[in-house]
Amino acid sequence: MNHTLTIQLSGSEGAVIRTLGLIERRGFGLDKCSVGEVDSSGRTMKVQVSSSRPGELLKRQLERLHDVFHVELKPAKPTKPSRPGIRPVNPQNR
Amino acid sequence: MNVSTHLAPELRSGSQILIEALERNGVKQIFGYPGGTIMPVYDALVGSGLKHYLCRHEQGAALAADAFGRVTRRAGVCIATSGPGATNLVTGIANAFMDSVPMVIITGQVPSPLQGTDAFQEVDIFGITLPIVKHSYIVRSVSDIPHIVNEAFQLAENGRPGPVLIDLPKDISAGMGDVVYTPPQAWPASCPPDAEAMQTAAEMLSRARRPLVIAGGGIAISDSVEVFRKFIDRTGLPVTSTLKGLGVIPPDHPGYVGMLGMHGNGAANHAVQNCDLLMVVGARFDDRATGQLAQFAPSARIIHLDIDAAEISKLRKADVAIVSELAPALEGIRPEQTANESWRAQCAGWTKEFAWRYDAPGKGIYAPKLLRDLSRARPGDLTITCDVGQHQMWVAQHCQFNDPLQHITSGGLGTMGYGLPAAIGAKVAKPEATVVCVSGDGSIMMNIQELATLKRYGIDVKILLLDNSALGLVRQWQEIFFEGNYSEVHLSDNPDFAAVARAFGIQARSIKEPEEVGDALDWLLNTDTAAMLHVAIDSMENVWPLVPPGKPNHKMMRSNS
Repeated sequence: MNHTLTIQLSGSEGAVIRTLGLIERRGFGLDKCSVGEVDSSGRTMKVQVSSSRPGELLKRQLERLHDVFHVELKPAKPTKPSRPGIRPVNPQNR
Repeated sequence: MNVSTHLAPELRSGSQILIEALERNGVKQIFGYPGGTIMPVYDALVGSGLKHYLCRHEQGAALAADAFGRVTRRAGVCIATSGPGATNLVTGIANAFMDSVPMVIITGQVPSPLQGTDAFQEVDIFGITLPIVKHSYIVRSVSDIPHIVNEAFQLAENGRPGPVLIDLPKDISAGMGDVVYTPPQAWPASCPPDAEAMQTAAEMLSRARRPLVIAGGGIAISDSVEVFRKFIDRTGLPVTSTLKGLGVIPPDHPGYVGMLGMHGNGAANHAVQNCDLLMVVGARFDDRATGQLAQFAPSARIIHLDIDAAEISKLRKADVAIVSELAPALEGIRPEQTANESWRAQCAGWTKEFAWRYDAPGKGIYAPKLLRDLSRARPGDLTITCDVGQHQMWVAQHCQFNDPLQHITSGGLGTMGYGLPAAIGAKVAKPEATVVCVSGDGSIMMNIQELATLKRYGIDVKILLLDNSALGLVRQWQEIFFEGNYSEVHLSDNPDFAAVARAFGIQARSIKEPEEVGDALDWLLNTDTAAMLHVAIDSMENVWPLVPPGKPNHKMMRSNS
């Protein structure tokens, strides 16, 4: 599934890499990313990710970061993941 | 003429400002190790109100701070220099992250102009630790120090606790500023539990025929033990516990079926696999607890209570989720009726059927019985810190905990070497407790240098070292799952551990016969200084039961035959 997220985050040092790192670490392939300029309210990052894991879960994991102020998740489009990335949570394989 | 009494703000170093901010946040003890870039902080430490414990490896300092945080529910503080000092903290930081432990880590860093130049002892500890911290900072201005320290403590301790790292370049710690400390604003209160979800949960509990509760470590972390016990007494629901939930319910409670999971009790695993409603309180469906996830509690609907929304439906879909502090949710869930008698009787029957037995054949000292005797010797007063391996599972199975803070164990990360520094942190946090580090011959060697810390500060920690001359749990798996192809697990060339302890100035005794156990435990617990009891046990002893990897929890092996 492809998920598109718009993330409002802090402009502070490390916020972008912390956010992108979490996305890949939690099993979502990063297909597209654009990072806006910092202004008085921080900055906006738009990402398109692919994973068999639910986008809602990534949204909640992102919202847990102190650097992240708000996350908007667009409804998923069913597609094949473009990259294998971390394997999905498949209980049969554990 | 009036003379103004207002004095110009005093010019102080970043390190002095840091020390004040730590003190203002209630810190009295810190664990650490000095070195090049953190030297300005160590300079400011002299004469401050902070008691510094010099551990003999930065990992020891981080793990001691972790245990201090668990016992006090306030952030434990550790401090180290840049480069290897900082990287040596990493295992301790990950340990705290995995077990949701409040911790504040302060690392020295090379001066800002040298950052990014591969300077001596420069590593990007901010980058290295990104996946294992709740949050982190690089301080860029002396004036930011009080605010960052305040926020670090608030983040570490509020919500789901975790480690927060502050990387402090030397030009900042040595730089001067006229910064006046201002206290932090109050942390916003968390949202109350959702009333509709609580009502739905109550209705589900009323309707369920075979309801069961999992008590997780979050109950201890959030100091909700009493509220949880009242909930269980009010509802009469049967309860199982995760590794970190041990002690949340007294082990002799009539509805308690024991710990679930890979090395859990048969009663707990059968209850979980047969329940039709599972209420999970402050736990996260860890794979060591669930066994094969697809067949975990296959007939159960799930009610999940957690402070962390990201845990909801991460591994098992929740039918009802309540994201809030646990106590108000537990108080608000009021089922009209719960648990029919036949289900309770069935759980009680399993508890009786799977009660631990201590009549194992064999001539040598049987570790499970020894651990049961240890915990009976000082009920209520004992804090046990564990290392990782067979002994850790035997402690979980056979020691009786009436309070979760009596059991300090590395759950999520499974850090060999945790036990001894954790015992130091626990004893510093709670000097009146009898703190026993139960360790193994593999684990103790991973932080054995901390014997010097015990001696240096006269920290009265008792060490019970179960020595099977092997990396026992790995050996057990090689025996069962790798057809006895033993690879790098034999430790028959171990040092004489009692002699090692004595070399550090710690009293020690060795035993190997069952009839020596009673007297030796008396000696260990009644010695008024740190002491080690070294116990030789059978190297082929295994931990039973065992749920093989990839199997559901009711497919427990009880022996290797």
